Amino acid sequence: MSIKRIILLALALVFVSIYLFPLYWMYITAMKGSTGIFAYPPSFWPEHPQLAIIEVWQRHDMGRYLFNSLLIAGGTTLIVTVMGSGCAYVLSRLRNRWMDVVLFAVLMMQVLPSSLMITPLFVSFEQVGLTDYPRTAVILAQAAKMLPLFIVLVRATFLQVPRELEQAALIDGNSRLGAFLRIMVPLARNGILVSSVLIFLQSFGEYVYSRSLISERALQPATVGLQSFMGPNSSDWSGVMTYAAIYVTPILIVFVLLQRQIVSGLTSGALK
Amino acid sequence: MTFQIEIDQLNKYYSTNHVLRDICMQIPKGQFVALVGPSGCGKSTLLRTIAGLETAGAGKIFIEGAEVTGKAPRERDLAMVFQSYALYPHMTVRKNLTYALRLKRQPKEVIDHAVKEISQITGLEELLDRFPRELSGGQRQRVAMGRAIIRNPSAFLFDEPLSNLDAALRVHMRAEIRKLHQRLGATSVYVTHDQIEAMTMADHVVVMRNGRIEQQGAPLTLYDRPTNRFVAGFIGSPAMNFLPATVAEDGVSVRLELPGAPVLQFIGRRPAGEAVMLGLRPEHLMPEEGIDENRLSLPVNLVERTGSACYVMTNTDPEIVVAVPSRVEEDIKQIGVTIAPEHVHLFSRDASGTALLNAA
Repeated sequence: MSIKRIILLALALVFVSIYLFPLYWMYITAMKGSTGIFAYPPSFWPEHPQLAIIEVWQRHDMGRYLFNSLLIAGGTTLIVTVMGSGCAYVLSRLRNRWMDVVLFAVLMMQVLPSSLMITPLFVSFEQVGLTDYPRTAVILAQAAKMLPLFIVLVRATFLQVPRELEQAALIDGNSRLGAFLRIMVPLARNGILVSSVLIFLQSFGEYVYSRSLISERALQPATVGLQSFMGPNSSDWSGVMTYAAIYVTPILIVFVLLQRQIVSGLTSGALK
Repeated sequence: MTFQIEIDQLNKYYSTNHVLRDICMQIPKGQFVALVGPSGCGKSTLLRTIAGLETAGAGKIFIEGAEVTGKAPRERDLAMVFQSYALYPHMTVRKNLTYALRLKRQPKEVIDHAVKEISQITGLEELLDRFPRELSGGQRQRVAMGRAIIRNPSAFLFDEPLSNLDAALRVHMRAEIRKLHQRLGATSVYVTHDQIEAMTMADHVVVMRNGRIEQQGAPLTLYDRPTNRFVAGFIGSPAMNFLPATVAEDGVSVRLELPGAPVLQFIGRRPAGEAVMLGLRPEHLMPEEGIDENRLSLPVNLVERTGSACYVMTNTDPEIVVAVPSRVEEDIKQIGVTIAPEHVHLFSRDASGTALLNAA
């Protein structure tokens, strides 16, 4: 191994550890007792590891929070996948000046941050009475936010499917919709699945819209529920980290299991 | 008489580009038609317009007497073989073959019977459960053909189906497609840029250029009596030689603009002094001794040997190619050729290049 490679490897390890340190600290803190958290100097491994998973789960009614998170993420993913696939297909097949404008507008939407969009969204949702169904409101807002990303990713996948396949399908007796559903969607399956997983994971961690639109505690997702640990005088850091660990671990597992597909899905089209 | 496919005054535009101009064709049932021309001539666009994949700008298309101009591809009952074969990668060979039948919700027995028959015709029996990616180029080609045949359509459309195969396989598949056509007697429209493919396979050849039909007819008619210089140069290999010349005073011979101003007889009569373009096919220039009429003596520049024939390039301006069916000596410096008067073609020298005289 050359010196250059060793240096690069060392650098990579340093950056990875900086990136992953918060994650490590989350798990470590979750296992520490309340005295261990404020010990100085801080210990990097708990003396008496303890995990209060069941206790935290029950005390904060995490089942309900996670159910709301799943509902919001699932609803968002469903809307985005159904609408975004059709949209991405059209944008991949029609090429003219107007479609370029549309694509540009779609990309612009992605640039706008949630915290900027929430005020006008809140006002308009209030006017049409959507705030009475706060989780639906969050799903719609989040779907609108995620659609551009999905469209851009899936459009690249559709672009890779040769046009002749869909033309062959048309000649073989399909309608346009039939050719889309029976040929294009199965062939773009990987891209659509990976993008959907990505949208799901992102929506699972959505905070700004839920925080602003859902005031009733029973309807809030896990991200918002995390706030209930913050008391006016003291904070249960160990509880916060246990809660966070419960919340994040499934996401991490999904991501690790699918990371090969996700990475190839994200780079497909870009490397062609 | 109703034709299987009839095209009436078809025009098509891509924004300001006029890609198909006044196309008129009548294809009787069972005919094998080749659309041939240089790339960008509109032959593929014409085929795709017949298929319904492109919309017609103006004009009408009839299939079996019924107008289909604005109709969707699936309402036209045509089958198409694509250049890239366009096999569905997520389906096995069997599923690929039966896709159209399954869409029509044919009963299972009908489908099974059809698969059996078609896989026998195309020699795919062993490969029915493979995926397209596991097949060789020739096998994919067969699947694409089988997928077209199984539907028993009113006509077949081929879009350069052989251009992705290597040379030996191409010649083989050429014969296969031809045999298949004889057996099924199905109307076929075949797009190719290869004039040899067109000449050997088709009953009727349509030569296109710049979105226009330059000439259509039986292969040998196009070879013997090209209506203009473009068709004359496109059909035949090596290509026809064109030499500027002037009609002599007698009106039955031309004086070439070559050193020595040789004179060649032709059959027919043209006004004396007319500036023409003389067309001579390389294979009509015979290096025979003892004939003094219509003889040219040409300095040799280069000899290409293919084994079966020699192509002699002359050191003249413009260069003349002579196809010698026998062998020539290594160090040949000068070649004497004669040409029968009936093989002399005359074309106008202007841009249109209209044929003035096609003897033969």
